[in-house]
Order: sequence, then structure tokens, then C-alpha cells
Amino acid sequence: MRILVVEDDPDLSRQLKQMLKEQGYAVDVATDGVEGHFLGDTEPYDGVILDLGLPQIDGVSILQKWRADERKMPVLILTARDQWSEKVAGFDAGADDYLTKPFHTEELMARLRALLRRAAGHTTDVIEIGDLVVDNRAARAFVNGMGIKLTSHEFRLLAYMATHKGRVISRTEMVEHIYDQDFDRDSNTIEVFIGRLRKKIGTDRIETVRGLGYRLVDPDAPQTS
Amino acid sequence: MATGPNPSLVSRLVRAALLWTVPALITALILLTWFYRNTVYTSFDDPLESAVTALIASVEVTENDGLALTREPLDPRYQRALSGRYWLIGTVDETNDIIPLLASRSLYGETLRINGVDRIKLTQATGEAVRFSGAGPNVDEPLRIVGREVLLPGMTSPVVAMAAADRRPATRSIQQFAGSALFLMGLLTAGLLAAIYAQVRLGLRPLFALAERVADVREGRSISLEGRYPAEIAGVADELNSLIAHNRNVVERAQTHVGNLAHGLKTPIAVLQNEAGLSALVDASVVKRQTDAMSAQVDHHLRRARAAARGQAIGLSCDMDDVISALARTLPRIHRDKDLIIDVDGEAGLRFRGDKRDLEDMIGNLMDNAAKWTRSQVDVSRTADDALVRVVIEDDGPGIPETEIETALKRGARLDEATPGSGLGLAIVNDLAEAYGGSLVLTGSSLGGLRAELSLPRAVQDTR
Repeated sequence: MRILVVEDDPDLSRQLKQMLKEQGYAVDVATDGVEGHFLGDTEPYDGVILDLGLPQIDGVSILQKWRADERKMPVLILTARDQWSEKVAGFDAGADDYLTKPFHTEELMARLRALLRRAAGHTTDVIEIGDLVVDNRAARAFVNGMGIKLTSHEFRLLAYMATHKGRVISRTEMVEHIYDQDFDRDSNTIEVFIGRLRKKIGTDRIETVRGLGYRLVDPDAPQTS
Repeated sequence: MATGPNPSLVSRLVRAALLWTVPALITALILLTWFYRNTVYTSFDDPLESAVTALIASVEVTENDGLALTREPLDPRYQRALSGRYWLIGTVDETNDIIPLLASRSLYGETLRINGVDRIKLTQATGEAVRFSGAGPNVDEPLRIVGREVLLPGMTSPVVAMAAADRRPATRSIQQFAGSALFLMGLLTAGLLAAIYAQVRLGLRPLFALAERVADVREGRSISLEGRYPAEIAGVADELNSLIAHNRNVVERAQTHVGNLAHGLKTPIAVLQNEAGLSALVDASVVKRQTDAMSAQVDHHLRRARAAARGQAIGLSCDMDDVISALARTLPRIHRDKDLIIDVDGEAGLRFRGDKRDLEDMIGNLMDNAAKWTRSQVDVSRTADDALVRVVIEDDGPGIPETEIETALKRGARLDEATPGSGLGLAIVNDLAEAYGGSLVLTGSSLGGLRAELSLPRAVQDTR
């Protein structure tokens, strides 16, 4: 899962990046409106945390532009502005949630998880694929109730596949959703990660669809295809 | 009309006009009556003087030192007893009484008496006609007397010749004239007063119009003083307009500053809170406690500052429907965890007399509170009378027990720690509503939850 943070306060954006990474997200940070709009417009983020008072272009305008250009990723507005008219303007521009500063980390994380979950059509933070359990809340995975040790990239990849379980995911899509902008992207490393994941959770849980990509499946379920 | 404990400008101007008109009219009345009286007496005295002249011309001294007339005055009234027309020729004694030597029959053997103060005139003006008031044989009959003292040839002491007539017809005529004059002057005074009053009202009409426009602004019917005013008060109207604009700017600026300050503080507080959670080097609970305290302070003073600016900006009003529909649109997106159904009904197009942000705070807090507690249904209804708009917000949640309603309205109360939110919502709404002279009443709803009835001053949109 890859998140864009648009926040002009350098300390707060650094903290948000750190907190989100600890939760297993890939994070990009933009510190002004122009950069924020550009990133959201060109990169396929799973979610956006957007401040309203930004240099150059304000948050509401950015959001309006995205929505006008059919960018449908869930957006959480995180701002110090707490007037009702500002909340209404934020939601009218296309926000999915609105949180005012100061905020508690747990609440922000819970709301972000809820947004991502709703966007993918899940009702809880815990996704089960047979006896594989991916807990987005704790950023952990279990097989048969046993915790599995995963690196952050491995977990991110697993969580993304679990969120879109049953769907074939291309290597390009994986690259776009598990690496942040600064990472040296090489789609070959995806194969390395897939190999490592297969070793940890069981080979038959990740199906290779030749020429298209990979799919997370429940090996014990009756085949539907 | 502008009547109050202070005398109005109209009565002031009318009273000032009375100050010169009434004395002028009284003086005119007195002068007119005096001139008329003189005219009446001059024409009244003329026949008496002729009679005296005729008497003197026709009197003769007889051989035995008596007096006789060669020709009696012709007027038959001199012959009839007590007719009101008399003549006599006589002498004046030491006490200025008149002893008749010859007299008209009408005197009936009596004499003419001159009133006290006039007596002295008789002996002082020899050879000239002198006018007196006096009495004759009939004591109730006031007389006008003309007399002249003459020294007849062959006599050693002078005699007086007198003619007298009842003066009452003249007096009556003068009285009638004075009465008519008084009546006419009264009529003139009343007419003048009415004219002055009308003139003052007409002249001051732009001033009354200005007062009405100011009331319009204060009650939110318009945002500045409209219309053209005469040169004398155009300056006042312009000054008032710039004062209203200035007031609005000051309030707006103050609110912006407060908002900026609060927003400027909120991000650093968020940073500190997060840092405590992220770093192992600091005691997270201490930082959290302190930043929570700072956050509460910011909220408190932000509210205080907004409250101080509240109601200061004059002439504001806003559409209630805008606010309610925006909230009805937004709240389901905030409370996505339930299928929120918000029904809005009642009278549309109502306007609140006050700041839009305050209305948003009040209705926003009430509707958000209802959305937070309800199972799914929130009803919003709007009604109004001449002075107040009323918004009733009901939900089908658990409601508040009657015993705790008072606590809920008290500042800082928080009934349930488990539901997120400041818990101050209802208290803030209550304070705000009271600041506007409105009210918040909480009762149980027929839906099962809380029923909040918010009453606020109504602005009637100016249709001119």
C-alpha cells in the first residue's frame, strides 16, 4: 500500500512518513501544493493524507483537480481548520474523511485503514485467505495462527495482494504500490520478493499467471477457474 | 415617529416656533382692539360734541341773571325721562359736583356725576371739549359725557355745558369686536401650529428615513444604508456606512487573526504529540498530557475569542437552508459507519440574524451530535414566527436522561467519554444561542432519542 502525504510542515511530514512506514505503508511526501498535485496526478496511490493550508495551491483546489481528472484514490484531509464550512468544502471537493489537528496517531491510522479497506471493499482490517491471515492493523501476517517474520517490503507486497485477493496483479502494479518514489525501482526485485514470500507462507498460495502477473489464492479452496 | 424619554426634535422645533408666534399674535390682538375702540369712541363722541356746541350757541342770560335756551336740542330722546341721552348747563362747586342750571327733561331733575378720577379734568381745560365717563339719574347706566366750560357774557363765573349718552352700545361693540378678534387669532394660531408641525415633519422626513435604514442594518435586512439623503445628513449617512464597513472589517480581521493563531499552534502541538509517540527518549505520557493541555487551551481561547467577536458585526444575516443542506450532505460522509438518514422538512427560505459561522457551529454541533448517537434516523424541521426561527433536531439514539440534561448544557460537561468529540458541543450551542438572545431546549424525542429545539432571532429579508 502506497500513501501520499501532502503536508508543508517539515516535522509533521517527517513524522507522518515514519508512522506510516511503521504501519507497513510505502510513503511519498510532498511539501507544497504543486508537487502534491503532480504526484497525486501521476502516481497510483492507494491513499492520500492532505493538508489544506499549503503553499502555492491549497488542498481543496488540489482535491478538486484530482477529482475532475478522475483520480479516485481515497483522500483524508488532515488540517487545523475546524469550522463546519471548511469541513463541508472539503467533503464537497471529494474528500473521504476529515481529521483536525492536533490528532492522535492511533486515530489517524485507524481512519486511514478504514479508507483503504472501504476502497477495496473489505469490512475489517483483518483479511483471511484460507488459513493465511493478514492483519493490517498490527502490520503482521499469520499462517495457521503462527506469526510470520516479514520485512517491511515483504509485508507490503503481501498486504497489497491480500487487499486485492483473487485478482491478478502485474509486476508493474506491484512496483507502483509497494515502493515509494525514492526507491530504485527494478521490477526484477519483485520476483525476488515473490520467491521469499512463497518460502515463508507456502509456494501454492501465490499463483503465477504467465505474462500477466501474480495472484494470491487459497490453495485449499475448490478451484473456480 | 421618534418619541422617547427625550423631547423629540419635532416638539423642540414646534415649541421654538410657539415662543414667537403666540406673543406676536397676542400683541396684534391688543393693538387691533385698541384701534377699534378709539374709532368707536371718536364716532360716538361726535354727536355729543355737536350737541355741546349747539347748547353753547343757543344759551342766553336772561334779565334776572337766569339762563335760557333760544332753541332746544331737537333729539326727542332729550325729552323722554331716563332715555339715555342727556344734556345740562350748570356750575361746578368746590367738590367738583355739578349743580344744574338748565337740564334736559330726560334727566328728570337729577344731575350728571362725573367719575372720581375724571373730575379734575373739568376745571383744568377751559374752553375745550373734555370727555368723561360718569353716571346720570339711572345709577346702573354708565355714561359717556362730553363737557365744555364757557364764560357767558354778563356772567361772573363760568358755566359748563354737557351732553351725555349711554355708553353701553359702544362698549358692547368693542367687546364683540375683541371676541371676534380673539376667535380669529386663536384660529390663526392653530393653523400656524399645524403648518409648522407639518413643515417640521416634512423637513425632518429624511432623518426619520435614515433612522429606519439604520434599524434595517441592525436587524440584518440590509448591509448598508441605502438611498439618497439631503446634503445636511448625507455626511452622517456616509459616515455611518463607513463605520458599519469598518466594524465588519475589524470583526472579520479579529476572527482571521484568532483563526490563524489557533491554526498556527495546532500543527506544532500535533508534531509534539507525535514525536513523543515516536521517540523512546522522552516520557510519552508526560508530553501527551502537556500537549493535550495545550490543545485544550487553544480550543478554549479560540472559542473565547470567537465569542468576543460574536454579535459585534452588525447587519449580518444568512440563509438557514444553505447551512442545513450542506450539513445534511456532509454528515453521512463523516459517519460512514452507519446508514445515516437525514430528513429535512418544514419552512424553507428562513434567515437567521447573525453570523453564518455561528449558525454553522450551532446547527453543526446539534446535527453532528444527533448523527453520532442515532441508530440511523435524524429529523431536522424548521419553523418560524415573526421574531424567531426554530430548528428542531431529533434522533432515534439512546437520548439523554432528564436528570442529566442540565449537566449536558453546562460548559465543559462530557456525558460519555466513549464517544469521540469534545463533549462541549451542547454547552457551546447553548452559550451561542443565549448570546444571540435565543435558546436551546433539550427533551426526549418521539423517535426515542434526543430532541433539541434551537430558537434564534429571525432576519426578514428586505424585499425592496
